[in-house]
Amino acid sequence: MVKLNVLNLEKSEYKGGKSSLCPGCGHDQISNIIIQAAWENGIKPEGIAKMSGIGCSSKTPAYFLAKSHGFNTVHGRMPSVTTGANMVNKDLSFIAVSGDGDTASIGIGQFIHAIRRNLDMVYIIENNGVYGLTKGQYSATVEKGSKKKKGTANEQAPIDLCAMAVNLGCTFVARSFSGSKKQLTALLRAAMSHRGMAIIDVISPCVTFANNDESYRSYNYVKTNDEVLHIVDYIPHFSPLSEVEVPEGEFSDISLFDGSTLRLETVSDDHDPRDAVAALRAIHEATQEGRHVTGLLYYNPDQPTATDTLGLSDTPLMGLSEAELRPSAESLKEVNAGFRAR
Amino acid sequence: MDKIINDFTINVATANGTGSQSANLIILHSLFEMGVPVSGKNLFPSNISGLPTWFIIRASDRGYQAPGDETNIQIMMNKDTWEKDLASLDSGTIIIYNEDAKLPVDRDDCTCLGMPMTSMARGISPKMARLMANMYYVGGIAHLLGIEEDAISSAVEQQFRGKENAISMNLQAISEARSYASENWGDVCKFAAVSRDKSSDTFLIEGNEAVALGCIYGGINMLSWYPITPSSSVAESIINWIPKLREDGDGGSTCAVVQAEDELAAAGMVLGAGWAGGRGMTCTSGPGISLMSEFIGLFYFAEVPGVIWDINRTGPSTGLPTRTQQGDLSMCYEASHGDTQHIVLIPGTVDECFEFGWRAFDYAERFQTLVFGFGDLDLGMNRWSTSGFEYPSQDMDRGKVIRTQEEMDSIPNFGRYRDVDGDGIAHRTLPGSGLAPILYRGTGHDEDGIYSEDPQVYYEAMQRLKRKIDGSRDILPAPVIREEDEGEVGIIFYGSMENSIVEIDDLLEERGMSVSTCRVRALPYHSEVEQFIERHDRVVVMEINRDGQLYGILRKELPTHLISKLFSVAYSDGLPPKAREYANRVIEVLEG
Repeated sequence: MVKLNVLNLEKSEYKGGKSSLCPGCGHDQISNIIIQAAWENGIKPEGIAKMSGIGCSSKTPAYFLAKSHGFNTVHGRMPSVTTGANMVNKDLSFIAVSGDGDTASIGIGQFIHAIRRNLDMVYIIENNGVYGLTKGQYSATVEKGSKKKKGTANEQAPIDLCAMAVNLGCTFVARSFSGSKKQLTALLRAAMSHRGMAIIDVISPCVTFANNDESYRSYNYVKTNDEVLHIVDYIPHFSPLSEVEVPEGEFSDISLFDGSTLRLETVSDDHDPRDAVAALRAIHEATQEGRHVTGLLYYNPDQPTATDTLGLSDTPLMGLSEAELRPSAESLKEVNAGFRAR
Repeated sequence: MDKIINDFTINVATANGTGSQSANLIILHSLFEMGVPVSGKNLFPSNISGLPTWFIIRASDRGYQAPGDETNIQIMMNKDTWEKDLASLDSGTIIIYNEDAKLPVDRDDCTCLGMPMTSMARGISPKMARLMANMYYVGGIAHLLGIEEDAISSAVEQQFRGKENAISMNLQAISEARSYASENWGDVCKFAAVSRDKSSDTFLIEGNEAVALGCIYGGINMLSWYPITPSSSVAESIINWIPKLREDGDGGSTCAVVQAEDELAAAGMVLGAGWAGGRGMTCTSGPGISLMSEFIGLFYFAEVPGVIWDINRTGPSTGLPTRTQQGDLSMCYEASHGDTQHIVLIPGTVDECFEFGWRAFDYAERFQTLVFGFGDLDLGMNRWSTSGFEYPSQDMDRGKVIRTQEEMDSIPNFGRYRDVDGDGIAHRTLPGSGLAPILYRGTGHDEDGIYSEDPQVYYEAMQRLKRKIDGSRDILPAPVIREEDEGEVGIIFYGSMENSIVEIDDLLEERGMSVSTCRVRALPYHSEVEQFIERHDRVVVMEINRDGQLYGILRKELPTHLISKLFSVAYSDGLPPKAREYANRVIEVLEG
């Protein structure tokens, strides 16, 4: 029997076109997880807007959610287009895909300002440390000492996008790995249930230019150096918590905006995602040891979003009628009279 | 003495940030109150305090609004420019100067009238003396020209609205100065201001505020902006008017405002708003357009509606940030890489600033493209007369947006970029609607919006885009033509040059030329522009830039047989156009 989600939709309703990325690309796995997460969460495909910039990762919105509108914009500037669309239609669910070149170099300013505004969106960074489409130049997130397939090792210090996001007060910051299907699915589902800016920095190996063992972002390297903060389990709002099996070890629950829950099961030490300093320490310590810390790093709910602070009409602005948008002829007479009296 | 009535130019030389703007506006408004046709130009520096600034007031019964070619009354308040200001004056100029500057006024060929303005002001308020000193030249001017007391009072009240103390102190200063001038200067001025019937409807307003109101009445949904002179007051005016005019019944705003991190982001937000079905706008100046150019190409190629107002300042680069120019015309028309072409609306009056403010959104949605509003510092930041804005004469044009499945079913062979109506304009659907979703892109795409590098698909897409924008020509505002029967000389001009054209025309007629004029109000240019050129033997294209940008556009697009009729008069020094300068250049190119 075909499986249906809460909207009685098959998973095929969430699929996209055929990928043109290199076979085995981590990005394709992420696309599959986006499909899975949106389907499992029961989000209406037509209510989603897929956003991206330019690069290998930014091509992927063509490969998932074919029933959603999307915009493959320009390099590094997807956040501003998303901001404009959000301003006139705050009911859309924005799921954005970007890369490390798109976000950490050319688009770092727009990335920062989207966080600052707490733009209500899911922002996935498919982070492989190289520019794939232009044939393998290092990006700004690659670790010092990491070496791609050809050429010399990278000598410059990396930009850690999660650490930066935590510092900026981003309301949901997570890191994951394209090869960790369970973890990434749970984090992505939680990000979709969040209201505000949710960033997931996903290490996604570039199979063509940097999947050699000397690369800190190769499949093997990440598999053996993954510092898992906690086991994550997503419990949707439509599955009552009381019916979910309670784990044997210690755990804590995070309540999400739509009533869903993210359950964090302790692996070794506790990590309190509401503690920004703990998040920065976890990132810093892992980096010192050449490891990647994954999980929900930081969570700061109930912050006003970009549109909340503007006192906008309840109706999305794009849905207002001419009568609501154009002031009356009488009002213009008053405006003119006001100037004459000045 | 026989007086020259309502025909004079006053130049006030002060320093920025010394409060002279209030004094200057009081002179301007008091003349306006008397019904004297008057215009004012603020030549200010890129600075908050200290650098020299000049304010030019022109009174003219003939309605001339260009800054006068010579100064009749010079007011000297700025020590830094004292010598240069003095040296630039023609013989016979009336000079009013602040004696407290303690600088020589060695112009025996002029009428030199001193007043200890700062010390007199100290008598009213020692703390405010520097600011108040300016009111003393107001009083001096009022005496010389015979500006009525009532007009002065009303202008002062308007300037310091509600601040009773300021009103009475400033009125006292003006009155003291008037008495001083009457006792010490006597009747030495050959110019006079005389009341005219003033239409009770008229008022003065800056072009930028008119644009802002036009946007408000055009249903703007989202304003994104990054501060830049001289466009910031467009955004600030919109922000000011939203609570008064654009709140729904529950007090919710129907227009979002975002101060962007830079101009690139501001343009991206307009694109996002337009894509999602809203009316987005940003305002900027030349440097901003340079930065926005990447997105401008995406607007064009992905066919997303949006509006950008470019309030021109003097380029290139940072240029002269507080001076005027028509230097961005060719850039706006063809901004971004590859073959592009954008609709440009060019208002020449504050009434048109308002009208094109609302129309820009209609054109953007109708043609699914970016529309530029093209203003400049002169029109945007100086005050011009209007008898009141006219309510939009047409309902909003939301363009070919498919909102229901029924509408979708009625279109045979729908594709986002398929031209089913033959006008180059395809139908679009909006995100959130679930109707015919596609992934918009700046990469090559076929008629269904699917990625394509096919040569024929690309070629045809670009031809359709050309056809689409070309189809806007005769729908956009037609030129304003003032035609003589003779058909000898035609002048084509645009934008704020409107304020100088009557005087230029009169100067040329004095030289025996019969001149028709044609003010272009949009690009791509209307077919009537071409017909105007057909009807005239020689046509001068007159504009405020170095290279003759409209001249270049016309040469590129006109039929070959018309090109040899064209002459270019292009001149720019950062200042608003003076009539005689341009008239002389016209004569030079035609007779040269």
